[in-house]
Amino acid sequence: MTDRMTDQTVAIEIAPEMWVPATRDGAAAEYIAAPSLTFWQDVRKRLWANKPAMLGLGFIILLVLAAIFGPMLSRHTYFEQDLKLSNVPPLFQTYAVTDSAGATTRFFFNSGNLNLYEVTPSGEVAGLLRPAKKDLIKKQQQFKFGDREVVLDTAKQQLSFADGAALAPGGWQWNMSNLLGTDQLGRDVLARQLYGARISLTVAFVATLVNFFIGVFYGGLAGYLGGKADTIMMRIVEVISTIPLTLYVILIMVVFNSGFLSVVLAIGSVYWVDMARIVRGQILTLKQQDYVAAARTMGASTPRILVRHLLPNSVGPILVTLTMLIPSAIFIESFMSFIGLGVTPPEASWGTLTSEAVETLRAYPYQLFFPAAAISLTMFAFNFLGDGLRDALDPRLRT
Amino acid sequence: MTAYVVQRLLLMLVTLFAIITLTFFLMHAVPGGPFTSEKMLQPEIQAALNAKYHLDDPLWLQYLNYLRGVLSLDLGPSFKYAGMSVNEIIAEGLPVTMKTGALALICVVALGVPLGIVAALNRNRWPDTLVMVIATIGVAVPSYVIATVALYVFALRLGWVPTFGLDDWRGYFLPVFALSGFWISFIARLARSSLLETLQQDYMMTAKAKGLKRGTVLFKHGLRNSLIPVVTVLGPVVANLLTGSFVIEQIFALPGIGRHFVLSITNRDYTAIMGITIFYAAVLMVMIFIVDMLYLVLDPRIKYRADAK
Repeated sequence: MTDRMTDQTVAIEIAPEMWVPATRDGAAAEYIAAPSLTFWQDVRKRLWANKPAMLGLGFIILLVLAAIFGPMLSRHTYFEQDLKLSNVPPLFQTYAVTDSAGATTRFFFNSGNLNLYEVTPSGEVAGLLRPAKKDLIKKQQQFKFGDREVVLDTAKQQLSFADGAALAPGGWQWNMSNLLGTDQLGRDVLARQLYGARISLTVAFVATLVNFFIGVFYGGLAGYLGGKADTIMMRIVEVISTIPLTLYVILIMVVFNSGFLSVVLAIGSVYWVDMARIVRGQILTLKQQDYVAAARTMGASTPRILVRHLLPNSVGPILVTLTMLIPSAIFIESFMSFIGLGVTPPEASWGTLTSEAVETLRAYPYQLFFPAAAISLTMFAFNFLGDGLRDALDPRLRT
Repeated sequence: MTAYVVQRLLLMLVTLFAIITLTFFLMHAVPGGPFTSEKMLQPEIQAALNAKYHLDDPLWLQYLNYLRGVLSLDLGPSFKYAGMSVNEIIAEGLPVTMKTGALALICVVALGVPLGIVAALNRNRWPDTLVMVIATIGVAVPSYVIATVALYVFALRLGWVPTFGLDDWRGYFLPVFALSGFWISFIARLARSSLLETLQQDYMMTAKAKGLKRGTVLFKHGLRNSLIPVVTVLGPVVANLLTGSFVIEQIFALPGIGRHFVLSITNRDYTAIMGITIFYAAVLMVMIFIVDMLYLVLDPRIKYRADAK
């Protein structure tokens, strides 16, 4: 045993000044090296350092700005229809035909509805090209460009000149008149998307706010009153939480008929149970604190103690619950709209946009992409922000 | 324990009563009767219809009759499908919904929990990252988007599975996948974070220090304790799988209860809406009750008491 230890012992040189006894300095011991942070400064610092959460927050801010100002800046409105320009894709392959007089026509072929559309040099869609002759038996359409003739074979989806030579595509072009294309009624997808963001976000925020007020009021009251009142109020919450709430949102929608206001009402009046539970739990622990006793001895009224002392101190968990409620409200709204109980057309929300896109999925699968991406990215953003907030507010993770 | 179970059962009855009452009066608050349509009925026919379905009775009598009906498990006739009762509608749709729902639940547990465990045991290594990325996508993308995209890719483009119906066993793949996708992700995330927390507990170190085998430590001490939060959410999971079936059955054209429910909403078939809602609520409450009883088996620390004061 000793042999092994001596084998491994390494001589360490220690400088002589290291052996000098340390001086005790009273002032130095009192010195606080790190700046002292309040709870909220600390939370802000940690949230700031959390990259996914900040990314989520940035996305949400951009989204809100886009939802507010986007529809104002857009050239199109969400309800304006142009059936001649329906289902135009955002990106297409153009063809060019020059006749003997030298006039060039640019156009693209929409494989979904088998139409040719004329395109201006700047990339705007000028309009539908009418075939000069339709041959339904051969499934061919003839188009005349000056003295040149182009044959569209709708079965093979091929374009060729009258002599049989195939037309060569002239490169990809982004649709400059409708940046994200148009839907089945020829409405601009971008404008509808922005308007949909407006509706979806408004529904989510307002419904969450309604939930917030009901939940905080109910939970705060139950927690503060305690005793019999608390037992009864929490029993009611227990009963409500065993009811499948989605069904009740649907029932309320059936009663009030679909529309913006009833969506908000239905979602807002149903999902406050979690909030009530959390607020109650917070209040129950907080009301034992000395400062509440102090406030009461000084004659503060119950509402004042509740609003000024108890609620501000339970703001952390409330905030986390709120950030988690918003995405679920967006989810529920889109779910409702999807089964046909959401906002009424021509109004649009992300849910109605998705369900409209699903109707034309077979011919235009790309139309599903934009609303689905919008919902999913928003979900990501709120989830990341919520997770970040929860971590930042968790005192156990404090450094 | 017995007192607790009795109390829970009583509470369930109260809840069911509240649900029936709420649903009944909500449905009767809808403007217009069940036979209001574009085509005006002659007053005599209207009166005859009302008399046949007892709609000319005072509201309280209708309510009592309905309550009596529900208690004897009779949910009344459907107003839109002539000659069909709500019971028959439910009986027709139930097997389909139950089959897809049960398969989805099995998927959720059989995939979600192992994924979460793999992620937790490989914390901050590639399996963890992979599982978390998939789980985050699964939580963020709505089920109907997953369903339609899967339908387009696997059924329309690749032709691997039928586009609708359940005649072929392959028809189950997509609906079950779309139905369980969100909850697999959710459970995986939950199991991961819960297991990570358990692994840091002192008793885990004690178990390791006692010299127990790694497997024993992990399964007997770690997993069993970390699965409690997972079991807690299984009740709501069942609830959501059932309500999620509204959209999924619609997309895949499955003749389940969810589809009947959505159809009865678009048809404004009030007795069907009412009956299916009550049926759903009853099923869900029973499920949640079963899940709560499961805790007892899983966690001996939990002792249910009837509100001891």
